[in-house]
Amino acid sequence: MTAAIAAGVLVAAGVYLLLQRGLIRVILGFVLLGHAANVVIVAAGGMRLRDAPLLSGAGTDRMADPLPQAFVLTAIVITFGLTVYLLAIARAGGDDDPPEESSDEEDPR
Amino acid sequence: MSGLLLALPVALPLLAAGTILALPGPRWLRRVVAVGAHVAVAAVGAVLLARTLGGDVVSLSVGAWPGGVSIVLAADALSALLVLVTGGLVAVCLPFAAATGDDRHRMFLPLVLTLTTGVYGAYLTADLFNLFVFIEVMLAPSYALVILGGGRERVAAGRIYLTVSLLASTAFLVGVGLVYGLTGTVNLGALAGAAAQSPAVAVAAGVVLVAMAVKAGVVPLHTWLPRVYPHTTPAVTALFSGLLTKVGVYVILRVYAVVYAGDATYRWLLVGLAAATMLVGAVGSLGERTFRAILVFGMVSHIGYMIVGPALFTDLALAAAVFYFVHHVLVKAGLLMCAGAVELTYGTGELHRLGGLVSRAPLLALVFMVGGMSLSGLPPLSGFVAKLTVIRAAVVDQQWLLAVVAALAGLFTVAAMVKIWNNVFWGHDGVGGWDDLGAPVVAAARVRPALLAPAVVLVACSVVFGLGAYPLLTAAQAAAAGLVEPAAYISAVMSP
Amino acid sequence: MILVVALVGMGVLALAVPALSPRFGRDTGYVLAVGFLLLGVVLTPAVVDAVASRPVEFSVPWIPSLGIAVTLRLDGLAALFAVLVVGVGALIMAYCPRYLHGDHHVRTYMLLTLFAGAMLGLVLAADLVLLFVFWELTAISSFFLIGGTGPHSAAPAKRALLVTAGGGVGLLVAVVLIIVATGTSDLDTIVAHPELISDSGFAVPVAVLVALAAFTKSAQLPFHSWLPGAMVAITPVSAYLHAATMVKAGIYLLMRFSPVFADAAAWQGSLTAVGLSTAVVAAALALRQNDLKALLAYSTVSQLGLLVAVTGVGTPVALSAATVHTFAHALFKATLFMLVGIIDREAGSRDIRELGGLRRVMPVTATLTALAAMSLAGVPPTIGFVSKETIFQGLAEADFAPWAGGVSAGLGVAASALTFAYAIRIFRGAFAGPTIQRQLYEPAWQFLAPAAVAAVAGLVLGPGVSWLEPLEKSAVAAMEAGVATPDLALWHGWSLELALSLVTFTIGLGLLLVRRRVLAVLWRLPAPETGVYFDRGYDAVEAAGRALGRPHRSGAVAAFAVWPLLALAGLGIAALVGAGGLPGPAPGTSRAYDWVVLVLLVAATAAVVRTGRALVAVAALGVVGMLVTVWFVLSGATDVAITLLLVEALTAVVAVLVLRGMPARFRPTPARRRAPAAVLAGVLGVLTAAATLAFTGWRDRSPLGDYFLSRAPQDTGGRDVVNTILVDYRALDTLGEATVLGVMALALLMLRAVATTGATGPGGPDAAGGQPGDTAGADDTAGAGGGRPVSGGAGRPAGRMLFHVMDMLLAPAMLALSAYLFLRGHYAPGGGFIAALVAGGAVAFGWFARGRAGGPVPVLRALRARPLVAAGLLTSVAVGLAPALVGEPFLTPLHATVAGVPLTTSLLFDLGVYLIVLGLLVAAVSRLGTAGLHSPDVRARRVVLRHLRESR
Repeated sequence: MTAAIAAGVLVAAGVYLLLQRGLIRVILGFVLLGHAANVVIVAAGGMRLRDAPLLSGAGTDRMADPLPQAFVLTAIVITFGLTVYLLAIARAGGDDDPPEESSDEEDPR
Repeated sequence: MSGLLLALPVALPLLAAGTILALPGPRWLRRVVAVGAHVAVAAVGAVLLARTLGGDVVSLSVGAWPGGVSIVLAADALSALLVLVTGGLVAVCLPFAAATGDDRHRMFLPLVLTLTTGVYGAYLTADLFNLFVFIEVMLAPSYALVILGGGRERVAAGRIYLTVSLLASTAFLVGVGLVYGLTGTVNLGALAGAAAQSPAVAVAAGVVLVAMAVKAGVVPLHTWLPRVYPHTTPAVTALFSGLLTKVGVYVILRVYAVVYAGDATYRWLLVGLAAATMLVGAVGSLGERTFRAILVFGMVSHIGYMIVGPALFTDLALAAAVFYFVHHVLVKAGLLMCAGAVELTYGTGELHRLGGLVSRAPLLALVFMVGGMSLSGLPPLSGFVAKLTVIRAAVVDQQWLLAVVAALAGLFTVAAMVKIWNNVFWGHDGVGGWDDLGAPVVAAARVRPALLAPAVVLVACSVVFGLGAYPLLTAAQAAAAGLVEPAAYISAVMSP
Repeated sequence: MILVVALVGMGVLALAVPALSPRFGRDTGYVLAVGFLLLGVVLTPAVVDAVASRPVEFSVPWIPSLGIAVTLRLDGLAALFAVLVVGVGALIMAYCPRYLHGDHHVRTYMLLTLFAGAMLGLVLAADLVLLFVFWELTAISSFFLIGGTGPHSAAPAKRALLVTAGGGVGLLVAVVLIIVATGTSDLDTIVAHPELISDSGFAVPVAVLVALAAFTKSAQLPFHSWLPGAMVAITPVSAYLHAATMVKAGIYLLMRFSPVFADAAAWQGSLTAVGLSTAVVAAALALRQNDLKALLAYSTVSQLGLLVAVTGVGTPVALSAATVHTFAHALFKATLFMLVGIIDREAGSRDIRELGGLRRVMPVTATLTALAAMSLAGVPPTIGFVSKETIFQGLAEADFAPWAGGVSAGLGVAASALTFAYAIRIFRGAFAGPTIQRQLYEPAWQFLAPAAVAAVAGLVLGPGVSWLEPLEKSAVAAMEAGVATPDLALWHGWSLELALSLVTFTIGLGLLLVRRRVLAVLWRLPAPETGVYFDRGYDAVEAAGRALGRPHRSGAVAAFAVWPLLALAGLGIAALVGAGGLPGPAPGTSRAYDWVVLVLLVAATAAVVRTGRALVAVAALGVVGMLVTVWFVLSGATDVAITLLLVEALTAVVAVLVLRGMPARFRPTPARRRAPAAVLAGVLGVLTAAATLAFTGWRDRSPLGDYFLSRAPQDTGGRDVVNTILVDYRALDTLGEATVLGVMALALLMLRAVATTGATGPGGPDAAGGQPGDTAGADDTAGAGGGRPVSGGAGRPAGRMLFHVMDMLLAPAMLALSAYLFLRGHYAPGGGFIAALVAGGAVAFGWFARGRAGGPVPVLRALRARPLVAAGLLTSVAVGLAPALVGEPFLTPLHATVAGVPLTTSLLFDLGVYLIVLGLLVAAVSRLGTAGLHSPDVRARRVVLRHLRESR
């Protein structure tokens, strides 16, 4: 339940920012969407069992499914790399929306 | 041994990338390493194809863990064929990039090599999450390559490309998460038929398909494609058209065949999308005004022809789709190289600035003529066999809409090719054009053979696969059989 | 075999042209003419056999899996056309050398020969697909022959190609329909068993499409317009393609399919109707032309109309009329074109108004023209007379309706009368009246010879028409086996058709007498400019394409991102509707403290969305990250939490670095975009929540999860299960993930070049879209965009000081921590990635402190992105491939104990990851960290900003 709401809120916010002007807010949107995806994946492991999957003698029956966590780790790392690059693009002058493509103004043939 | 075979397409390009990054060596050496890696992968693909043509499936459990636990790489005829074709294409594209000077940048070759790593991985992996990872491996370099060469227009296009791709990737990831939430696995073998049995899984996997439809450029998710590709450098466009959109198509084929088991429930939707894609792409390309933009928008149309495969999901339709896939990879890249050669030699790709090249660059004209005919599905070239088979598949299934649209879209493609031909190769002879700074380009400029040779090779392939369509069609039919009847693939994935 | 020889021979001839041309120049035509004749000789035995109704056949499989074969077959019908293709071809080739100027005609000669080959293939093809192949090839060669002749020829060429290709599309679909219906593409089987098609239910579409293809190819109304347009081609081309052969391909197709459809009244009716209306209208249009060539073009359209009509009638007589007239028309029309070409060359014009009295200066030319015109007008004793009479006879037999015969014959007469009139107009226009150009003289005999041969043949074959009988009979037999055709004769007694001929002549002469008034009327007739409708259609499609493309020219990212979002929304809504509601929350998936985190999360997220200030947004985003981290901790995802924490921290740092000097406030989004964005966002949020609710938390821990938890220790020796999954079970994912980071490092290294060098980057100025100084431009907009720039970060001395301290104290400690985290990775949260992030922090401090690598730890000074990435990639892949040496699969972890210390290759693999991640961080800080302080573009921005401040 809580996971669903959290994911929903993050997606809504992320999508809204994605549709705003300027790359910075788009990037913020993607970070939020990334969080949402990760929440969904962890939730996909099932939220009933919540002990960290760190084996230390004790039984494993209350431990969370480790596989989704591995997925999320991979996803986080990838998102991080892309976010850094996006920010660099924004700096390189790709921030604001450019005007319409120039080729459209040219005389038709 | 076969295990190593499956690993090589992923390992070799990465190894080459690392080597090139590490070696200070001369440029020619780096080029040799890069091309060599892809030739080797193509060879591997050929071996795999030889082994899988009979319907066998080669598979490997990465890390030698029990089936279902580890990531499985698997190659059936389809994957093998695509690995082979991709390796060949890149091996031809890299010399073109050398000729255009794109690979002058130190990072170009490593980026291309990692990109192809992702493509090969996507073609070979049988694990949904691993597929996501490999698609990211493919996309990440493309984000850098798309703005290679810089310039405002290009960065602007790059923003759009990044945003749309990232959106698709995020959707893909969520889709995979939901699939795992429902089924507790991401192994394609374990997921076989899951979407056909449970509508919930169908929806979750549907998210994945939507994401891939965006990558493939299926109407109405295609809008980014004609906006972005024409602004990349010619070599990059050729590479992208042959690799990126095609992976989207491949995943749609594979997932729909394995996870949905070709469920006919959604046929009407796929049929509609295929028809819309064919038509919109063809008409749209006729509306463009630069050499490359026309070709790029045309890609959308041809994707539509490939979607006919999953839409009808018959042996013939899928064989047609696979045949079209290969044909389009080769021919479109060749034509884009022609466009690039014109842009680099005469300083512009805008139709109204060009003219009379038939006398000044006869070989280029010939190559474009043959390639354009093939793209339009005119005989006796590969495009004709491809279109004929698609239409035939549609008629056999009495899908009149698809048959008519496929035929009509072909006609519009002819018109688009004629538009290019009349403006670029006929029309007023004289100045080649003006470069983007408005300086006139020397009319005497000749197209360098190095720019043309790769296109010649690719278009020659189209002639071969037209007159000698039988071998390729056989491979395509083997691939189709593997999609229609995925039992062998599934068992190979479940117990590698 | 002979057939293959003939076909291949044509190809060889074509390929020989480039070799011949340098030697013979324009006289290459003579060589080719000889070649054609030789091929004719080669074909003769086959033709003889065919006429003796012993068809010659050759077949090899082409695409067996589709049942498509290369089957060639020469029967009577094919023989008739083959004779025309080769015979007329030879004449045209012999005509070319004197007609063409200059010596460089490789293209023309090659294309003409290739066309001849294609046309020959078309009539020989006995496989439908093969027939279509040659059908299209004729259209293509025609396109290049029309268009190659100058700037103004491109448009007509396009028209000709697209109209015929449109018909070709129809033919293609028809072919596929037939193959699917009959299961074969073998023409003879299909023709031999008409029921295969008529019973398939495809009969009507097939008939319509075949007719469509034929009408476009043979320029019938309303598709006729391309043919007059095609007259921009040089005269030999017009004579050969657009009079004698290619335009007859449509007729040939109709004749081929006649056995299949001839019995259908609808087929007869539509063909006759279209044919005759075309015949009359085109004849009238021909009469009003002043340009002799245009006149001949319309005449061709008209004559083709007659042929379509009689083919449609389909009775033995009608069919024999069709064959004979096909032959006759080829003869006299080719002649007329060649002669008009001669007049054009000699007199420098083909306009009736500028010509006159040439009979005095060019008597031979005049005589030949007279002969051909007589044949065209159907005046005895020419072959044209015979064929015209047979046509009347055939039309009179039309029986698809009680009145059909009479009406058809009547229209036939009308068309012929007009023909008679314009035939005379051709002659009078050029040769009668006062001589305008007295200095002209007869052309060289070589120029006249080919025309003379054809003209004389047309005359001789009038009385000697019986010589054609074998050919005619076998051709008809090929269309309708075992029927008696009337014997051909110049004079066959007083008959209806003779009467009709006389009527024709009378009307024709009448028209001649009142020609002024007739022409006045005709000229006033509103007839559409050639191809205007086609052009309108074409422009409409092009405009549609332009419109389809317009949305794609926007520069706004949202315009493109919205489509995938809409698609996902559509999918979700469909799913909701389909499922008809949602299940309640899965039991036991939420706990009390979840709600606390959730509330805070909502608040922080709202802050990110609502604020207009860049720094605030980034800060709020950091808070969101922290809360998600907490949420992960509460969900038992410790490794994830730690990683996310570090990632968030570094992201924030990078973001601040980037924001320096950028406008402090976001540019406002246009209001019209905000509301829809909010709606779409809301919908997708709800759908995501619904999907998470419905699809997660309903099953027990997955068997996979159980497996990892139970087997990790003995499988891998690791106790942090998540980490073992990353480096052991799913190392391939990790390899990919690391690759992505490495790529991003390379991308950052490249970005500097991209951003600042602009167009001078790889690809050169011609390839790149923009100009140098792009970034400066971009910065201007950035500066001007939104007031006060973000200051602070590492920009200020105070901040620098702080970093210096942190650097001195923390860097060494962090490196140690990094090493520790790395080593324990397998056993507790940590591992290559986390460790590398920590080390990256140390690197970052150094950069912020003094804008370059350094600090107290010498190692940091040496760090460079590219070598790190390279080393990392090589290490990981090498570790992955190493097992192959011992026969183990890719990425199999190997364990060994060296000096009592258990070692696993997983650790080496993780080291690769470590190096790559470190490479990325080094790249990031070195690119972004310094950009604010040292890069020229930023100095430029500084200037702009100071300027702005002063201007306030």
